[in-house]
Amino acid sequence: MADFNVNVRGVGSVSVIDVKGYLDAHTAPQLENAFNQLIDGSKYKVVVNFNDLSYISSAGLGVFMAYVETMRENKGDIKFSNMQDGVYNIFDLLGFPMLYEFYKNENEAIEKFKESISK
Amino acid sequence: MNLFSPNIAKSRKLEYSIGFSILLFIFKILFSSSDSFLYHFANEFIVFFTLYFWLLYLIDFVHTKLRSPLQLVLNVGILAALFFFFVAMSTMIFDLKTFTPHQNFITSIFSLIISFICFIAAAYIFSAFRELFFLRQKRDPKTYFNTMIVFFVFLFFSNLLIKIDQEFDYPKNAFYIVALILISINSLRVAWIAFLTKRQKIYLLILSVVLGILFGFNFSFSLEENILTKILVDLSPGFHSVLSLMMIYGTIYFGVIFFTTLFHLPTAEAFDRKAEEVTSFRDLTKLVTQVLDFKELANTITQVTTKVCNSDSAWLVVIDKEEYDLVSINNIGYVEADELSKKILESLNDETESLITLNRDMTEVSLKNDLQKFNFSWIVIAPLKIHEKQKGFLFAARQKDFPFDDDDKKAIEAFSDYASVAMENAMLIEESIEKERLEKELDVAREVQYKILPSETPKYKNVDISAMFIPAFEVGGDYYDFFELDDDHLGVVMADVSGKGISAAFIMAEVKGVFKSLSSVIFDPHDLLVKVNAILSESLDSKNFVTAIYGVLNLKSGKFNFVRCGHTPLILISEGRAERFTPMGLGLGLDNSEKFSDTLKQMEIQLKNNDILTLYTDGIPESQNAHLEDFGYERFENILIENSYLSTDEISNKVMANLTTFSKDNMQNDDITLLIMKWISNNKIVGEN
Repeated sequence: MADFNVNVRGVGSVSVIDVKGYLDAHTAPQLENAFNQLIDGSKYKVVVNFNDLSYISSAGLGVFMAYVETMRENKGDIKFSNMQDGVYNIFDLLGFPMLYEFYKNENEAIEKFKESISK
Repeated sequence: MNLFSPNIAKSRKLEYSIGFSILLFIFKILFSSSDSFLYHFANEFIVFFTLYFWLLYLIDFVHTKLRSPLQLVLNVGILAALFFFFVAMSTMIFDLKTFTPHQNFITSIFSLIISFICFIAAAYIFSAFRELFFLRQKRDPKTYFNTMIVFFVFLFFSNLLIKIDQEFDYPKNAFYIVALILISINSLRVAWIAFLTKRQKIYLLILSVVLGILFGFNFSFSLEENILTKILVDLSPGFHSVLSLMMIYGTIYFGVIFFTTLFHLPTAEAFDRKAEEVTSFRDLTKLVTQVLDFKELANTITQVTTKVCNSDSAWLVVIDKEEYDLVSINNIGYVEADELSKKILESLNDETESLITLNRDMTEVSLKNDLQKFNFSWIVIAPLKIHEKQKGFLFAARQKDFPFDDDDKKAIEAFSDYASVAMENAMLIEESIEKERLEKELDVAREVQYKILPSETPKYKNVDISAMFIPAFEVGGDYYDFFELDDDHLGVVMADVSGKGISAAFIMAEVKGVFKSLSSVIFDPHDLLVKVNAILSESLDSKNFVTAIYGVLNLKSGKFNFVRCGHTPLILISEGRAERFTPMGLGLGLDNSEKFSDTLKQMEIQLKNNDILTLYTDGIPESQNAHLEDFGYERFENILIENSYLSTDEISNKVMANLTTFSKDNMQNDDITLLIMKWISNNKIVGEN
């Protein structure tokens, strides 16, 4: 089985989750753990950096769907950045771009959160 | 050849012995006293065979009936005492000077009875010596013993020579001496003493003193003139000299046993412990392979640890989900063991790779106080490891203030290894049960899936339809179906439920139910899917979704109206070219607001003759080969184009054949579904163009 790795960083009030490798039904629980910890710590502004993610399955997509409600209810959001084309196509086919914000790089996404605070 | 194992059944041996005894008896009564050589010759032979068969019988008897050497020694002692008793009693009753065995009928009978008792006793003693000789011998020392027997036989018959001529006694003396030497050599085989426990050794020590003296007396009796000697010499001079030899054997043998046991005594205790260790290991090995319940085994392990390692208490802790879990205790309360082990393990700070010894006086103050409270001076902690991972600890504690020695520690380590093996076994069994459960679940899911999918594809003259479904090992949740809306309209759906296994199968069943009931009521694909999304959003878990393509084909005009909800693009092959249609549309269950309806775009395709519509699930483009390359769209479309002149069934087969070849080195981990529809507007039957 291909490996999967999750790393959570704090950039100001925004939390960045770096995902790496294969995200499928077997590895999804690791990502769920990361989200649970953020919610426990009342951190609702999340950017997921997909730079090192090479594959995502439907179970992987399900993780974001499961947590986005909680984030948005608490004035936060899940934004995506640095996605490779192959991975983006999967999100695109499903219509995710109509529901989530996608950015070319992480900083843009973080900036977006800051804008919404200053407003 | 073994002298004592001819192929005679056991019951036969007894029959022969009794037969020869009776023969001897009759012989003795009939020819009570004769001095001819022929008489002596016959006499010695009958005596010899009687003795031989009794020996055969008793050797078997001793071998099968008696397992403990001490019991054997004791029996030999009783028989030796019997000889002593005979000698003593007979001297008291009869007058030695006037007594001859053939004085009168009563003395004759008396002599014979005494003779037979001596006979059987001698045979028994010899069998016992033989049994003790072979006991616990690593190599087969048969030759020495058999040589000795041969000289016994020589000695036996050499008495006949004396009957011929009184001067002819040197062969007898020579045989006597050789037999004596062999006896001395054979007496050194006393390995079995080492395997006795300390108590048994002390018992044997006392017994061997008594027996040595007893046999010594008996031997000296056999040399002097007394009633028993008279009787036995009269019975058979050969037997008498062999019996005398056996008395020497007894004297030497028990002398050797006495000294050997004496020298073994100091090491007896250590040997006892080793023996106990070996027995416990053997029992544990047996248990590990037979007992599946880890807890039961853990109890045995703490018990033997306490016993073998001279500790006062032992207990076993396993690490379960990063917490310490007390599994078994021996000679200590549950609460105490739990408290103590947690404190000790915390104080060790994970430095628990190998065996650890704790002494009350050398540990930190806090721990020292705890040990004081529980009255332990020394504690040994052995880690349990499975594949280099720590899974628990075995504790052995001692109250007295003398440290665990190396042997104790080695034993504790060995026991903790056994515990590790047992734990691993238990885990493996649990895993295999879980695996079996999962496989059952998969079977159910697959059965549900097959029941949900249509059993056959509809047939029309204007459209040739083929559907193919290949399930993955783990059921993937693919679904397709046809709905005959009216005479001119056919509804077609293909869907893919996220997730796998039984949960995917249940969602699939729901999707089928919703489509089946709504498709006949709501004709417009857009409106239908908005409704389907509303229903599914209610019932789906927030992390589950369904992708789908739903379209309605007008069987008269060839117009195909469809919507795509997050599903893979629809592929149209027309005039040798492939075109992918990806109209906007969210996956079902992603969003339950106006957004879904607003963004969902319906599309219409006008089919021309021989146009091919292809619906499929992501199992096809996402199939991978050994290099983890995707099968992809281009490969897929090229196959469709190249084979577009064929019937839809044949096209399906081509696609599947290519796909199988491509991904042969990689397991199929998603369902594969392919639905091909070919429009034939000139009303010819497929296959004829």
